[in-house]
Amino acid sequence: MRIARVLLLTFALVLVAHAPAQAQEYFAYVASESADEVSLIRFDGTEAVVQEAVPVGQIPVETEGAHGMTVSPDGEHWFVSIAHGKPFGRVVKYETGTNRKLEAAEVGLFPATMQISDVTGLLYVVNFNLHGEPEPSTVSVVETESMTEVQTIETGIMPHGSRLSPDHQKHYSVGMMDGTLYEIDVVSGEVSRTLKTGEGMTKPTWVQPHPSKPVAYVAHNGADEVVAVDLDAWKVTERFATGEGTSPYNLDVTPDGSTLVVTYKGSGETGIWDVETGTRRALVENTRGVSHGVVITPDSRYAFVTAEGVGGEPGAVDVIDLSTGEKVAHADVGAQAGGIAFWKMQAGEAASR
Amino acid sequence: MTFRSLCVTLFFLAGVLADPAVGQSIDIEPAEPSVQVGEELQLEAFFVAEDGTRAADTTVVFYSPSKAVAASRDGLLTAIEAGEHEVIALRPAQDGQERIMNRFSVQVAPKPVDGVAFVDAPASIYAGTMMPLTVEAQTEDGTARDDVSVSVTSSDASVAEIDRLNRLHARTPGTVTLTASAEDFEATHTIEVKENPVVSLDLTGGAETARTGDVLAFSATARDEADEPVTDAPIRYAVRIDETGPIAPGASAEIGADGRFVAEDAGTYTVVATSGAHVAETTITVTERNPEGSIELVGRGQVSSVHTSDLWVWEAVDGRDYVITGTWGGNGEAYFWDVTDPANPTPVDTVTVDARTVNDVKVSEDGRTCIISREGASDRKNGIVILDCTDPNNVSVITEYTERLTGGVHNLFIYENHVYALSAGQRYEILNIEDRANPEHVATFELDSPGASIHDVWVMDGIAYSSNWEDGVVLVDVGNGVKGGSPSNPVEIGRYAYPSGWNHAAFPYDDSETGKKWVIAGDEAFPNGLNIDNEPTIPAGWLHFVDFTDPDNPTEDARYQVPEAGTHNYWVDGDVLYVAYYNAGLRVVDLSGDLKGDLYAQGREIARFRSFDPEGRVANAPMAWGPQPHKGHIFFSDWNSGLWVVKLNRPEKDRVSATR
Repeated sequence: MRIARVLLLTFALVLVAHAPAQAQEYFAYVASESADEVSLIRFDGTEAVVQEAVPVGQIPVETEGAHGMTVSPDGEHWFVSIAHGKPFGRVVKYETGTNRKLEAAEVGLFPATMQISDVTGLLYVVNFNLHGEPEPSTVSVVETESMTEVQTIETGIMPHGSRLSPDHQKHYSVGMMDGTLYEIDVVSGEVSRTLKTGEGMTKPTWVQPHPSKPVAYVAHNGADEVVAVDLDAWKVTERFATGEGTSPYNLDVTPDGSTLVVTYKGSGETGIWDVETGTRRALVENTRGVSHGVVITPDSRYAFVTAEGVGGEPGAVDVIDLSTGEKVAHADVGAQAGGIAFWKMQAGEAASR
Repeated sequence: MTFRSLCVTLFFLAGVLADPAVGQSIDIEPAEPSVQVGEELQLEAFFVAEDGTRAADTTVVFYSPSKAVAASRDGLLTAIEAGEHEVIALRPAQDGQERIMNRFSVQVAPKPVDGVAFVDAPASIYAGTMMPLTVEAQTEDGTARDDVSVSVTSSDASVAEIDRLNRLHARTPGTVTLTASAEDFEATHTIEVKENPVVSLDLTGGAETARTGDVLAFSATARDEADEPVTDAPIRYAVRIDETGPIAPGASAEIGADGRFVAEDAGTYTVVATSGAHVAETTITVTERNPEGSIELVGRGQVSSVHTSDLWVWEAVDGRDYVITGTWGGNGEAYFWDVTDPANPTPVDTVTVDARTVNDVKVSEDGRTCIISREGASDRKNGIVILDCTDPNNVSVITEYTERLTGGVHNLFIYENHVYALSAGQRYEILNIEDRANPEHVATFELDSPGASIHDVWVMDGIAYSSNWEDGVVLVDVGNGVKGGSPSNPVEIGRYAYPSGWNHAAFPYDDSETGKKWVIAGDEAFPNGLNIDNEPTIPAGWLHFVDFTDPDNPTEDARYQVPEAGTHNYWVDGDVLYVAYYNAGLRVVDLSGDLKGDLYAQGREIARFRSFDPEGRVANAPMAWGPQPHKGHIFFSDWNSGLWVVKLNRPEKDRVSATR
């Protein structure tokens, strides 16, 4: 049954991918860390606009740090991680479309990236603990109906880049300050494998499994490279130099598996890489400095990239056409735009539920 | 079929096929689990297929959302608190089947009653007096079961009776056995009712006349035939309202067990002291306090393009007066104003750093060093920036310091060549800045309570007063000497927490008139939602007056609470309190004399000023942030409108009282 479902979805996505570009609208949620705001972005193939900006803080005179975003697999809810609490951060659940706040779960220190497993229905969020002592932190496991932390799994120092394998059986994250890739078996709830992905302070900040191959890509923010990890052999098999000072930060791979998109936090650019050849096809300057998050549309056509900006600058979401390697639209959002999650694509009409 | 409808149909089919768990379920055994506090229970899970076949399933994992029950992944429950609690059984997706989640209830029973006991019951009592008794149903480990009723009976009601509230009324001399009963358990206690030696009761102290808010200390003394005090005779105080205003009088006066009386409303009150059958009274005439005063607007430094945060006012090396203000949610700026002419605050310099918010600004005692906090730095290193503000017209950056401060500095303080800087809301770091270009970290102070969080720190007379939300105010010796502390060896003196967990600020107030050492603990809370850009925000909270004279036993004796508004920062000068009360604007309060009860209701407010600005960041929405008195004026910042300068005008008699 699961296979049939995957085949049907794949077929539907292939059809969507061949639909006329102007017929589609794309929606993504973006978190602005210094504005405590989440923006719903709508892109119609030509223009990107903020359809709604949702305040997500609790204390208006303090910056609580809206950081990570994810949308539930059924598209019914979006979740934002709030980095700073008293002192623990939280993950807050909202309803998509209405953007109505529902529940919140207190988790660890500076919760960051997260994703929900189809296998368990549980949300896995890394407690980045960006500003804490250099000691192992955890991945919090959150039951998303009652929004309760039901388990913590110790991993590495400053874990980041919470991403699931295509079958949602494995959870991957990287320890930014211990240079280690962590694999968690979501069924056993235990760390199943670890791997040092480089020598020295590589500062890995993201891991992104390939959608159809047993490969995961790891961004070495401190070494200006992206490495490919063979998940069967459990070793690094390829290294892609991104250029001095680029500081690669977040990654995503197109659903068709052809293209790897890398945000360059250091240079304020986005690199578009051909997975097969291991070469960079395009380099796109982002609207603001400090490039951050990236998410790719289900039709593999566009990458939505966030750029934080500096000081009083607004954040930005750039839309990059992956076929041409050009930025085709952008929308200004709240300051320090970071986490981004794709919600849905639909035939050209306003989002409604 | 159109292309769009084809896609919709395919997505729909995929959705239908994605729900094969229909008809399947998880059974839990026991079906209605119950367990007693402190005990364990092993659960088992069974997978029930669509055809009804049922088999033990070890792939099911258990979770407990509540800390009242601990659940291991394989279903071993450990009961911690009594009640009905939810537990989750999850069968992960497998073998082409979708996941199944079963939420079920677990009943946790309290530990059984194992006895009943009198707690701290006296061995004797004087005839004619009354004493409340404490009796408890207890479990085997001595834990009280408050949900179990306990009754007490007397063996001889003519000697002593028990009322419905388990209070003992001693009637005549003799011995009586009291029996406490709970469920099937009993306990006895024998009390001797002694002849009451009291023949008279004196009531002294206080005054015949007072103003609302004046605290009068009464003292009743029971005496025997030799006119000697009977120190163990119980004395109770009450207040009788003889006359108040005719319109809807409320609970307008109170007296505590210590004999301290205070009235909120003008009127005639009688304080009644009783000891057994003896009664002593005295009547007080209370008039309105009505402190005279008004606030006059002197000058403004309007800031409407960005929110304004904290401020500091000082006389600089050149002998002129300046203010530094921070900015919130902007471009990392701090503004310097020449306020030598307070009617014309003049911007003279701006410092811009890599930040979104400069929440706090402080100036060293010698006026040469300014330090600003950073939040929202693009490199996420935040920390503090040390400025040379010897000439506030030409301020320069000396250095930044980010080590152990990368999580953002929300508040800081400078005291005797040391900086006390908050770090990520978890602790404060202490830095020596004698060489201000090379700050040296000398100590960290962090509470050891789980999940402790801190919001602010203020240092005065060698004591650091930190504000720690749910952990309340904490006093630390950083050079005062009372605990042998120093900046490099901070030693806790005492702490006080209150139930709301809203503690946001603290300011000490040593009252030389009463000898009391108060710490004023302030709230910050936003229970009414967020309005950052468009509408006024309605915060909540008040000031808690905590008597720290005995730091081992602090007591909260008074409050200042403006209805439907919320406190932020405040300052005490002499006996006058200046409060930036967010949406209620600037409030000036008379703290003279002892303090007890609700200072707002007592009419201790001298004056108020609401900072309306139609061109504010949020128009006409006062949001007073922090005040500071300086050379006869009051400077305060407003989150929506910038810098304000006002003057408090008071009659000469009140000014003398206020500055004493």
